[in-house]
Amino acid sequence: MNLLEILSYGFIQRALLAGTLIALLCSVLGVFLVLRRLSLIGDGLAHVTFGSTAIALALKLYSAMSLLVTMPIVLLASLGILKLTDKGRLSGDAAIGLVSALGISAGIILASVGGGYNVDLLSYLFGNILSIRSEEVVIAALLCLGVMLLLTLYYNELFAISFSDELAKVSGVRTSYINAILVLLTALSVVLAMKLVGIMLISSMLIVPAASALQLARGFKACILLAALQGCSSVVIGIIISIMSNLPASASIVMVNLLFFAVAFLTRRVLHPKSNN
Amino acid sequence: MMKIRVFIFLCILVLFVTGCKKAEFKPATGLQVVTTLFPLYDFARTIAGDKAQVTMLLPPAVEPHTFEPKPEDMIRISRAGLFIYTSKYMEPWAEKIIAGIENKKLRVVNAGEKISYREALGVDEHDHGHGHDEKTMDPHFWLDFANAAYIVDAILDGFIAADSANASVYRQNAETLKKLLLTLDDLYKNSLTECATRKLLHGGHYTFGYLAGRYKLEYHALSGVSSDSEPSAERMAALVKEIRKSGAMYLFAEELLSPRLTETLAQEAGVGVLMLHGAHNLSRDDMSKNISFFDLMDRNLENLQKGLQCRAK
Repeated sequence: MNLLEILSYGFIQRALLAGTLIALLCSVLGVFLVLRRLSLIGDGLAHVTFGSTAIALALKLYSAMSLLVTMPIVLLASLGILKLTDKGRLSGDAAIGLVSALGISAGIILASVGGGYNVDLLSYLFGNILSIRSEEVVIAALLCLGVMLLLTLYYNELFAISFSDELAKVSGVRTSYINAILVLLTALSVVLAMKLVGIMLISSMLIVPAASALQLARGFKACILLAALQGCSSVVIGIIISIMSNLPASASIVMVNLLFFAVAFLTRRVLHPKSNN
Repeated sequence: MMKIRVFIFLCILVLFVTGCKKAEFKPATGLQVVTTLFPLYDFARTIAGDKAQVTMLLPPAVEPHTFEPKPEDMIRISRAGLFIYTSKYMEPWAEKIIAGIENKKLRVVNAGEKISYREALGVDEHDHGHGHDEKTMDPHFWLDFANAAYIVDAILDGFIAADSANASVYRQNAETLKKLLLTLDDLYKNSLTECATRKLLHGGHYTFGYLAGRYKLEYHALSGVSSDSEPSAERMAALVKEIRKSGAMYLFAEELLSPRLTETLAQEAGVGVLMLHGAHNLSRDDMSKNISFFDLMDRNLENLQKGLQCRAK
């Protein structure tokens, strides 16, 4: 089958559209998270979603209804991560690891205590970019719009806390409030987007475009722009490669992202061989 | 904030403690039998009658691939007289568990030992660097009812070896079971002879190859046997094309697993979705309703007849 023929299928069009929107969302959020040393928050919150989905299933809440249970728990968990880094003398990665371990072990215990489920939990937890439904494209669009709006609104404050909490505090930014907004937006995006495209894609979209952009960009705005550009174009390129060479779509997108990173890394080495940042 | 956290912690604690009560052991009477998958469990409990106690390892709806034994499971196996599993393809963990158990009385039955495995055919799978020598075997052999009769024999041999005193009862129960399987086989054969289409189109992992092979259906699955394999866009598009070309009105999905991909494909091709049960495990509801292998196969036949538009004879 040729490329154009496959592009005429609805599921590919939805994958391209919703995939690009989610990539935009994740790569922009990612720049703030990577700078705040919370890169792995996507993985951590995915594990919490696993645990809280187990609670939802134990309460006999399925599919969309399960969000009633998972969403508040994951939002709380994201604030918990923040509190642990703030008050617990822990770095972001340790805090995320702690919360993530809690999520996954609670899920496993609940599964065996509750006497099993009616469906295979893992197969319901994660979506696949090729199985996005029409109404989910709308969800992705609204999510993207909402998060972008809030990020623009709080841009200056987010910019300040990305580099130094202390400095931001001194210059009058309500840092704990702004930090909370950042992680809550991340939690919201992770929970919803995970169901659409799977956790591997979300987690890599949060980290890789930001990491590449930080190699090259000279200013903060340029960095966000570069990350967004990479995130979106790797979805399109990844899907096209997956069609042409008959490979799974999500993994192809991640690989394209990593390729971009390698190029960015090497470019910086060539352009500024002596600089270390 | 603090109160909420204490509350959540208490909730988890209560669930945990109440759950632990269930783990009490019943006093062991007669032969203790531990099985891995549902068909083995169902056949074994029929053969056992009231002479032996049969339990199943997998919790309801858990995929065999993601199963992890609990301490209670290990204790149960170390006290059992008979352990039955299907194959190293389906339960790669079974042999490891057995190797770690010190129980000299335990007899282990590999129910798939005498089966000649079918290759998972008809899946246009990408070569992942394993080379072509390693064929992908289809481990769902119980869905061919002639094989199911072999399984009954293998289980019966295990029962007789472990508890020869009740051999005659076990033999009799096994005979009845095999007759039921033969009747089921005839029913399937007769019900699936005159169908509008012989294409069994499945929007999921390769599961129903044996079923299709036995009743001369042409099986097309979206992806390979492994639950890790993901379909490519081209494979999805090819299946949609296949559905449209075949004039089928339904695409099949496997019960217990998320039907998302199947629904996407069915919507694309403008057909409905029907469920088929792979029978390796049951949902919690079916388990509490005490559903049997034969109940599941009746359900499957009903959906097959509808999906393939068969005329009842």
